[in-house]
Amino acid sequence: MKILEAQNALLSNYEVYQHIVDQRKRNKEQNRRVPGNAHHIMTEVLTYLRQKPSPLERQEETQAYSPDAIPRLFEKLREANLPSELTKGELLSILNLRPPSTAVLSTAIEDMEERFTDDEQNKIVDIIAEVLGRDEAEEGAEGGEGGEGDAMDADAALPVENGH
Amino acid sequence: MFILTKIADLVQIAPHDFRKQSYVAIEDNINSKYANKVVQKIGLCICLWDILWTSEGLIGQGDGMVNVNVEFRMVVFRPFKGEVIVARITDQSSEGIYLATDFFDNIFVPWTELPEGSEFEPNENLWVWKEEDQVMYFDNNEMVRVKVISEEWHDQTPLKPIETEEGAEEQPAAVNSKPPYKITGSMNGPGLGCCLWWE
Repeated sequence: MKILEAQNALLSNYEVYQHIVDQRKRNKEQNRRVPGNAHHIMTEVLTYLRQKPSPLERQEETQAYSPDAIPRLFEKLREANLPSELTKGELLSILNLRPPSTAVLSTAIEDMEERFTDDEQNKIVDIIAEVLGRDEAEEGAEGGEGGEGDAMDADAALPVENGH
Repeated sequence: MFILTKIADLVQIAPHDFRKQSYVAIEDNINSKYANKVVQKIGLCICLWDILWTSEGLIGQGDGMVNVNVEFRMVVFRPFKGEVIVARITDQSSEGIYLATDFFDNIFVPWTELPEGSEFEPNENLWVWKEEDQVMYFDNNEMVRVKVISEEWHDQTPLKPIETEEGAEEQPAAVNSKPPYKITGSMNGPGLGCCLWWE
């Protein structure tokens, strides 16, 4: 066994979730049984991804995450004309955590207090809520059309790219 | 927290799997070999993402196994340094708090990385955060946000048998008690700690 590339691409939780769900669907259609340990870990990962406070908890109904939700999020963040660009890691954290408040946003973004004013921080939180939806039951099904996502390849050009 | 790793490996398909389509047999073989296993310095393998290239199947002498060289990408769990993940508290001790996700068990937050003013209650085996008259408990089975600060790898290569004196009945089995992959985290910072606190 040879490791050719230790890190070929980064995956968001949504992409892994979608991959496992699609795999399950295919296995069901073909009546196919997967090896025990694979089934075990895929079930556990799925359980983890569906658990509160993960944003994918209600993905089945709201379909808040979709293949075009990700570029839309980047587009909106770019349009917001923020003074400092967000790094790839920060964007990934935002996708995974879906911060509902500026406190949680500060865990995703480094040095948030210095790079963004309070207004800008609130703007980012609003954009996130607009594209990816919220947790509250009152908000109902927000955002999103259905579909699957692609892996964020290391060499694919991201709209908001930092020099990192 | 998941990455894709490109791996090249030799897959041996046993004759009883010939009834399956090639990619199905290869996929099952790879999944059974790698799923839920930790590869040193790479991470915890979850499942196959896609197959990039396979060679023709060659049958060696002596057995009927079809040998196929495969290049594929694997979904691997490996949070990067500084990433914030959500986990559940499983156990607490005076050293710190032990966390786990549904699929990964070895996340540890030493007491130095808990917020200022945290104290350990030995009676209830609980850590408590006291701040400005507010008392907040780190309850077991609570979901928390934790920032990854470092990871540790312990090679699980089996140790050689221990030499015992003559007349000894049994050789004590040398056991690797360290986990192959351990993550150290921190809950000291805004937004970190129990999810309920920040809602």
